[in-house]
Amino acid sequence: MRQARAQLTIAAVALLLGLLVVVQLRAQSAGTGLDTLSAQELTVLVANLNARNDVLRTEIASLEREATDLALSRARGETSLGQLQQDLARVRAWAGLDPVSGPGIRLTVSGPIAGPGVEEILNELRNAGAEALAVGPVRVVTGSVVAGPPGGLVIDGTALPDPFEVSAIGNPEVLTGALTRTGGLIAQLAATNPDLSLTLIPVDRLELPATGRDLAPAHGRPRL
Amino acid sequence: MSDLASRLRAIPSWQITLGLALLALGFLIAAQLQSETPRVRYTTQERQPLVQTVLTLQAQQEQLKERILALRDQIGNLEQQGQGSAVLVRDLNARLDAARLAAGLVALQGPGLVLRLEDSQRPVPPGGARSDYLVSARDVRAVVEELWLAGAEAVAVNAERVTGSTAILDIGNSVLVNSAYLAPPYDVAAIGPPDLYDRLSHSQGFIDFVRARAEAFGISIRFAELPDVVVPAYAGTVNLRYARPGASASPGPSTAPSGTAPVSPGTGSPRP
Repeated sequence: MRQARAQLTIAAVALLLGLLVVVQLRAQSAGTGLDTLSAQELTVLVANLNARNDVLRTEIASLEREATDLALSRARGETSLGQLQQDLARVRAWAGLDPVSGPGIRLTVSGPIAGPGVEEILNELRNAGAEALAVGPVRVVTGSVVAGPPGGLVIDGTALPDPFEVSAIGNPEVLTGALTRTGGLIAQLAATNPDLSLTLIPVDRLELPATGRDLAPAHGRPRL
Repeated sequence: MSDLASRLRAIPSWQITLGLALLALGFLIAAQLQSETPRVRYTTQERQPLVQTVLTLQAQQEQLKERILALRDQIGNLEQQGQGSAVLVRDLNARLDAARLAAGLVALQGPGLVLRLEDSQRPVPPGGARSDYLVSARDVRAVVEELWLAGAEAVAVNAERVTGSTAILDIGNSVLVNSAYLAPPYDVAAIGPPDLYDRLSHSQGFIDFVRARAEAFGISIRFAELPDVVVPAYAGTVNLRYARPGASASPGPSTAPSGTAPVSPGTGSPRP
């Protein structure tokens, strides 16, 4: 009798143990954090991932073409000067080392806004696919930050007047839509600060200067 | 000793089994309790196919990024091998290498810092907002911005390189960087001058951030100064569809506003 009760106890404990192991393992395997997203958020994430993967596929296609062209011209014994120059111009323009021009939007910011507020605008424009950005006369590149209190904004050592302009090259409609949509950033900023005025116009052709920063790493070295 | 051994032997085997099982049970309950965070965990059925889709797409994204990095390597090698004798080609290659380095298309390693941001372990008080106790995109952006201001020259968040075109966004209670979904904890790695941490910790902006998030809500902000921080290469696109290199194509004012008229789809004139 005592033996039977002992077996029953062990069985009960084993059952509980098994359940907990499963729960714990599931919690761990969900270390991707996806279990904290609702169905709606997951849908947004799927759309985002799809769009991003398409962009990456386009990049791969153009890189494959470039590699093939290079290999072909090498086989023919030709110099690939044209390709090198094209590649160089593209990378330098993308990084902000050279001036660029193109269609986009210009946002005039007037009134009290602090550095993080301007950074939010830049973040929103980047998310909408802006290919080049400038704040006032300063090209925004890796490491550029708009900082300071309202009235005392500085970007890369240059003080910003009031009003100042944020320029972005990209699809004007998409950039406009991203900022002006209902509940978008312009609406949010205006709601929290009635003295702030944000005026956005699409522009057919913007010219953005090159950065004045030296982007060459001084402390890091290429990882081989 | 032999006394203990004989006493142990006297214990029925079922008691030992039970004891071990209870011990394991205790560990598991503790682990379970520890892994409880302020985050809500959804377990509805409808999410399962979505989660599967996300995992598939994420795996694809990883492969695509690896392919991009491999192709860039291949192209770099092909360019280096081409007619090395010509001075012009050598010069172009050197400039291309420098441009890629400046653009963040090359992985870097060097002295720097890693800051780890983690959700608060404090219980959310009645009437408090749960999201205040979680790390948000705004927090990650604040740390990245403060690192740039302190003199960092390369920054990555959980292995996603931060460039001039990197957006950092909230998705639910997690964060997207370069459209890659990142789960907490968030490790912000930065390469910079030897006094990077000194400058960061003396920055009023960083002090305010720590007060507002760590002291007020218990967001965990830890750091390590490391002699060798690795910041991976940017694996996204550097294709320009709207921006053209140079600024001298058409004459006329540099800012020709198209007025208040809605922009037609043709205005973009993306490059083929």
